[in-house]
Order: sequence, then C-alpha cells, then structure tokens
Amino acid sequence: MKCIFRNKRIRAILSVVPGQESRFDDERSNYNLTEEKARRMKKMMGLDRHRVAPPGVCSSDLCVYGLQQLLNEGTLKKEEIGALLFVSQTPDYYLPPTSNVIQGRLGLGHDVVCLDLNQGCAGFVIGLMQAFMLLDMMDADKVVLLNGDTASKLVDKHNRITYPLIGDAGSVTVIERCAEENPVHLCLKMDGSRHRALIVPGGAFRTPSSPETLKLVEVEEGVVQSLEQIHMDGAAVFNFTLEDVPPQIEEVLSYSGNSRESIDFFLFHQPNQFILKQMADKMKIPQEKLPNNIVGIYGNSSSVSIPVNITHNCGKQLRNGALRVCLSGFGVGLTWGSMVMNLGPLATCRTVNYEAA
Amino acid sequence: MDKTEFYQRLAAILDIEEVKPENVLKDYDQWDSLAILSVLALADSQYGVTIRADEIRQVVTAADLATLIEAKRK
Repeated sequence: MKCIFRNKRIRAILSVVPGQESRFDDERSNYNLTEEKARRMKKMMGLDRHRVAPPGVCSSDLCVYGLQQLLNEGTLKKEEIGALLFVSQTPDYYLPPTSNVIQGRLGLGHDVVCLDLNQGCAGFVIGLMQAFMLLDMMDADKVVLLNGDTASKLVDKHNRITYPLIGDAGSVTVIERCAEENPVHLCLKMDGSRHRALIVPGGAFRTPSSPETLKLVEVEEGVVQSLEQIHMDGAAVFNFTLEDVPPQIEEVLSYSGNSRESIDFFLFHQPNQFILKQMADKMKIPQEKLPNNIVGIYGNSSSVSIPVNITHNCGKQLRNGALRVCLSGFGVGLTWGSMVMNLGPLATCRTVNYEAA
Repeated sequence: MDKTEFYQRLAAILDIEEVKPENVLKDYDQWDSLAILSVLALADSQYGVTIRADEIRQVVTAADLATLIEAKRK
C-alpha cells in the first residue's frame, strides 16, 4: 500500500524511559558467556546499557507520565484531544483496551475516541497512519499517539540473545491539522506468512497459559525461554531486513520525489547496530545520516524506538527548526513501513526519565 | 568468485589467521550465532545472495559454504 497524507503535521514528541540504567557488563554473569564472547557481542551489536522498567510499571504508566507532562506544561490541552491511540504489545489487560484505561486515568472527555493497536517494530509508522486517517475524518484538532512497550517482561533475563538488546519505553506524539499542504508519503507492506519469525507462541488463546507454556526450555546452549516469551528466528529476521526494507526505502524516496541527498536523516527502528550498519552500506547512505546508537543507550523498545531515536538524536534541531526525514519501522508481522515527511519545528522534542510518583 | 578472498573474509569473521577449505566450521569456538549473522551479511553485501538459516545449518566445511554461495550466484 502507498498513499499521501496532506495538511497534517506532528506538533510534539516526548519520549519517556525508565530512570534506572542497566549495564551489559554488569548483566554478563547472567548470560553464561565467556569474556571473549561477551566482548564480540558487545562490539558487533553495539551493546552498552539499556533501560528496564521496574516490576509493576507498565507501558501505559510510561505513556501516562509523558502525556501528563505535556498537559501540565500546556503543550497540549485536554479539550483539543479528539482521539487517543495506544500502540503496544504489552497492554495492561486482555480487556478492556488500555487506551480506555488511560482516558479514564487522565479524565478525558467522552468524545475522545480510544483505540488500541497491536503492532511492534513498525508501530510508530502505523500509528501515524491511523492518526492521519482519523484527522481526515473527524472534526477534532489533535490526535494523541501513544507508543509503549515493556519487552523486558517478555524475555528472560538469562537469555543472552534477547535480553541485552531490549529496552522499555513510552512516547507521546501529538498530531494536528495544518494549513500548509505538508505532504507525508507512506509505503507499507505486510507478510503474515512469515508471522512466526517473531512471536510469543503461548499464553493467549491459541495456546493458553499453562504450566507447560511457563516452563523454561533450553533452545540452544545456555539459552532458555518459555513459550510465553519472545521467540525470534534471528537469521530469518536478518534476511528480511536486508532483503525487503532497502527496496521500500528506494520506493518511498522516489514516490516522494526525494534522493538520498535531499533527506537530512534516516530515522529507523533500532534492532541492533550491526543490522543498521549493514542497511546503511547496502543503501549507500552515509552512516552519520542513519543513527544506530539507540540500542546501546536505551535498548530496542519496539514501536517506541523511532520516537526515542528522534528525540535523542534530533531533539534540539527539531525544537529549533525543520528536517526532512525518512522514518522506517520493520519487524513483527512481518510488517514494514516507511514514511518521508518534513518534521519540525516541534513544540517539544525531548527524552525524559520516568520517576515513580 | 575469488575463493582465496572468500576464505580470507571468513577467517576475519572467525578472528583467525587462515581458513582452509577442509576446515570444519563447528570446530571453531567462534562459529556461533554472531558468526552466522556475519556470514549472512557477507553473502548479501559482497556476493549479492541470501542464505537461509536451514541452509547454513547444513554446511560442514568452509568449502561447503563457498560452494553454497557460488551455487546461488548462478
């Protein structure tokens, strides 16, 4: 699918990360890794530290914290909000939708449309798509997109393949109508035939939770996981990223009439440093235009990785001016979506630490 | 493809001086999931081919890997 959205823009982005840092070097003893292997892994994947939410802190708590800040400081007013979108793979409950829970916690009006979207790595791009579509149809001025994930609760802390890479985070993005045309070009593809490449196989309704789904099983030497945790076919995901994403970037560049040179930054989902370097080389994009540092600072926070990438790497520039950016999210589904847009100046664009009340 | 160059690149991935065609990859301590990802990346960037996970699992020697990549280039 491809399409163009007009007369809409992003007004503000706020990322929220748990305050406490956890360092790879300190976690090493959990992983059954030799010093040599740990060194190679750290270097290749770009690992250093990441943020993990404390027990009891959910994705929604990170999002509410951010949204409350925007309301308190006046960047956003309650009565401007027409819809609340919550994109996550770690909701509060099976039911009701977490977006409804958040609406209630914040005391938002009954005219606010609440929608939960189950999306992962492409969830920022898909959330923006949904926000733009709602603004086309409804009379409210603004849509609030919340992205939240606490993948730390879906992996085992002894799993050296997944745990060092993940990070927990939430973000609040305010989307609004504008007088200028400001076209946003989107290319989006999905391939459900490869849905097992990234999956939590147990614990929902296909394979309900049982002592069996909770049992930790050794999947390779020194790596244990249960059916209720994230299973990743690393090679399949790696091949997908190198095979399917670069052609889509080409497509969205030509669709929007851009070249590599006319884009200021390629702000991509952040799975690990190795794959992002490979992608940049393959697409002949200079490394400095395609940041790959997020996994080693905050961890891969699924659909929140693009907002964290934006606020961490471009916060100051976007508070003061505009950039032409290419966003791309790819993973779970499998789903891959890329967008080209002019972004900024934004009312706010920053990363804040979550501190429990 | 230039086999000598390929074995040099493989040696670099395994962080050793030299790889001979008959060397068994599993004998190297460094032949782990990181090395396999590096080989997938090498196949893609230098030889323009995609190797699947099940294919790489069947590879025994360095020569098998060279043959696999070469066959895919045709």
